[in-house]
Amino acid sequence: MKSGKSTFILLTLITVMAVLLSACGGAATQPAPTATSAPTTQLKPTATAQTGKPNFSKIRVAIVPGGPHPYFLPMKPGLADAVKDFGLGESVFKSPAEWKLDAQNQLIHSLMAQGYNAFGIFPGDANASNAIVNEMVGQGIPVVALGGCLNQPTKTSFCLATDVAQSAYLGTKALIKALGGKGKIVHFTGFLVDPNTQKRINAVKKAVAETNGAVQLVETIADVDSQEAADQKINAYLAAHGKETDGIITTAYVPSTVAATALRNLGDKRIKMVGIDDDPIVLNAIRDGYLVGTMVQNPYGQAYVGAQVLAYLKTGCQPKADAPHYIDSGTLLVTKDNVSTYKEEVKTLTKRISKTFVDKYLSCSK
Amino acid sequence: MGIISRAFKNIGKNWYRFGLFFVTTAFWLFFAWRATGFLNSFNIFTLLRFASVQVMVGFAQMIALSAAEMDLSVGAIGAGVAMFVGALMQLLGVPYPLAILLGMLLGATAGFVNGILVVKTKINSFVITLATSSMFSGIMFITTKAKAFTVLPQGFVDLSRVWTFGLPISPLVWIMLVVAIVLYFVYSATSLGRKILAVGANRRAAEMSGLRSSKIRITVFVLVGIVAGMAGIMDAARMESAGPIIGTEWLLTSFAVPAIGGTSISGGNVVVFGTVLGGILTGTITNGVLLMNVSNFFVNFFLGLILLLAVGFDRLQKAYRERTSVK
Repeated sequence: MKSGKSTFILLTLITVMAVLLSACGGAATQPAPTATSAPTTQLKPTATAQTGKPNFSKIRVAIVPGGPHPYFLPMKPGLADAVKDFGLGESVFKSPAEWKLDAQNQLIHSLMAQGYNAFGIFPGDANASNAIVNEMVGQGIPVVALGGCLNQPTKTSFCLATDVAQSAYLGTKALIKALGGKGKIVHFTGFLVDPNTQKRINAVKKAVAETNGAVQLVETIADVDSQEAADQKINAYLAAHGKETDGIITTAYVPSTVAATALRNLGDKRIKMVGIDDDPIVLNAIRDGYLVGTMVQNPYGQAYVGAQVLAYLKTGCQPKADAPHYIDSGTLLVTKDNVSTYKEEVKTLTKRISKTFVDKYLSCSK
Repeated sequence: MGIISRAFKNIGKNWYRFGLFFVTTAFWLFFAWRATGFLNSFNIFTLLRFASVQVMVGFAQMIALSAAEMDLSVGAIGAGVAMFVGALMQLLGVPYPLAILLGMLLGATAGFVNGILVVKTKINSFVITLATSSMFSGIMFITTKAKAFTVLPQGFVDLSRVWTFGLPISPLVWIMLVVAIVLYFVYSATSLGRKILAVGANRRAAEMSGLRSSKIRITVFVLVGIVAGMAGIMDAARMESAGPIIGTEWLLTSFAVPAIGGTSISGGNVVVFGTVLGGILTGTITNGVLLMNVSNFFVNFFLGLILLLAVGFDRLQKAYRERTSVK
C-alpha cells in the first residue's frame, strides 16, 4: 500500500512537471525584452559637418571570439583602428574565459545589457550560436561572423573569414617551389570533425596533383591541433621518416608551432616547411632559416572590416541581394623577405577590402 | 507593532537562515551600484533565465545529497534527455508537450538504472554514476553523432524567449519556482520526503526502524533523473539548441548551488529555497563580474571564492548553533 503511495507521488510529480513545462510554452504574453532602448531603433546616419562622412559615434561594436586563442589577438588593434578611422563609439574586444558556448553567450548578453549595439562574433558553435544571433538580430542588433561562419540558415549578415582552401593551396605551391618542384612531402592538419580540415586536405592534394607526380604527398596526418597530440605524432613521424621527407606543409596553428620547434631542435634545415599563422615560434623559425614561410591569415582585417560593415548595417544599410554571405578576408605568404614588414602588408590588404566593401556588397538608402 | 517586533526578534534568533538572502541582496545592491546595465530589464531577464537552469541542476544533486548519495551523471542525463527531446521534435515532428513528457520518462529511466545499480551492487553511488555518466554520454554521442538539434518548435523556444505577466521573467523561472514548491512540499509534508531524509541522515537507523532503504534510494535516483532531465530540456530551450554541450559544465554547479544554499553534503537535510538562492547568487556573480568589465577570467575565481565563503559561513552557523544550544 505504501509502495503504491510512493509510486503515485512519483507519477503525479512527473505529470505535473511535464504539464508545467508544456503549458509554459504557450504562456507567452509578451516578446522578449530588448537590451537597451537604443538597439531596437535603427540609428540614422548623419554626416559630420567637416568631412561629409557618416557619423557612427553612436555605434558601439563588440567583438567576441569563441574563446581565448592567439589567433584572435590581432582583432583588438583591428577594432581599435576601425574605431579611429570610422569614428565609432566606445567599442570593445572581449574574449570568454573558456571555449564554451555558454560562456560566450553570457558574455554577449552582458555586453548587450551594457548597450553595445553591433556584434562581430566567432561562433562558439557553428549551429547553436544561431540562437543568440537570432536573439540579437531580433532586437535590431546586426551581427557578422568573423574568422569562422555559422551554418546556414543564419541571420548573420556576412561572414568574413579566411578562404582556407586557397590558403592551403598557396602554401603548398610555395613549398613545392622551395623544393625545386620535386620531392616527398607530409601534411599536418587540424581536427577531422572541422569541415575546414577536409577543404585543406583537398587543396593540398590539388596543388600536389598539379606537379604530375614530381611531388609526392606521402602522408596526411590530421587531428594534431592540440599540443599533446601534435607533440607525439609530429615528433614520432620525424623520428621515423624524417630522412625520407623533403617538405612539410602544416595547415593548423598548433602543428605549425610544434613542427617548427621540432625542426629547430633537430637542427634540420634540409626539410623545407611552410606553416600557418604568425606565432612568434614560427616567425623566429623563418628568420633563422628553419621555415620557408607561413600563410598568415587576417584577423586584424576581419575585425577592422567587420566593425566598418557593422556600423553601416546599424545605420540602415542592407546586404545587396546578390552579395555573397562569405567574404574572403585574405591571406598572405610571409617569408624571410617580408617577415619584418608583413603586418603593414596585412593592413594594406585590409584597407583594400575595406575601401570597396560598402559599394560592392551593401545597399544604403541615401 | 507587536507583530513587527516579533518578526524582527525571529529574524534575530534565526539570523543564519537569512544569511544567504542578505548576501544575495548585498551582491544585487553592489552590482546595481557598480555594474553598468545590471538593472536593465534585459539583463534581469537573462540573469534569471540562466539562474533558473542553475537552480534546477542544483535541485537534481540536492535530491541525491538528501539521501546521502551523489549523482555525477546529472549532466549526462540532462544532455541525453535534451537531445532525445530535440530529436523527437525535429526528426519525428512529435508535439513538444509529448516530447517533453517522453524526455522526462527517459530521465526517470536513466535514474532508475542508476538506482538499481547502486542498490544491487552495493557500490558507492560516486563510482556507479561516474561510470553511467560516461555510458549515457556515449549512447548519446553514438546515436546522435553529437549533432545538435536546432530546428525546434516555436512553443518550445518560447519557454525561454518571452516575458511573462509583463515582467522581465522567462517562463523557465516560473517552472523552476513551481518545482521548488513541489520539492518543498515533498520534503516537508509527505512521508516519501521524510523517509528520504531519514535514510540520508542515518541509513542503518532508518532500516532498523523498518524503512526499506533500497526502494527509497532507487526512488531518489529516479527523482534525480527526472529533475536533471527537466534541467536539460530547460537548457535546450534557453540555448534554442539541443546539443551535446548541455550538461558538460554541470558537475561543479550541481554541488555548489545546494551547498551554498545550505543543503548538507552528508545527507539528511535539504534547504530547497536556499538552493534557489544559491543558484541566483552564482548567476548574479557570473553576470555582475562580466558587467563590471573585470576580466572574465576572474569569474571562476569569484565563484570558487563564494563557494568557500558559503561553506565557511555554514560552518560558522553550525558552531553558533552548537554554542547557543549548549547555553
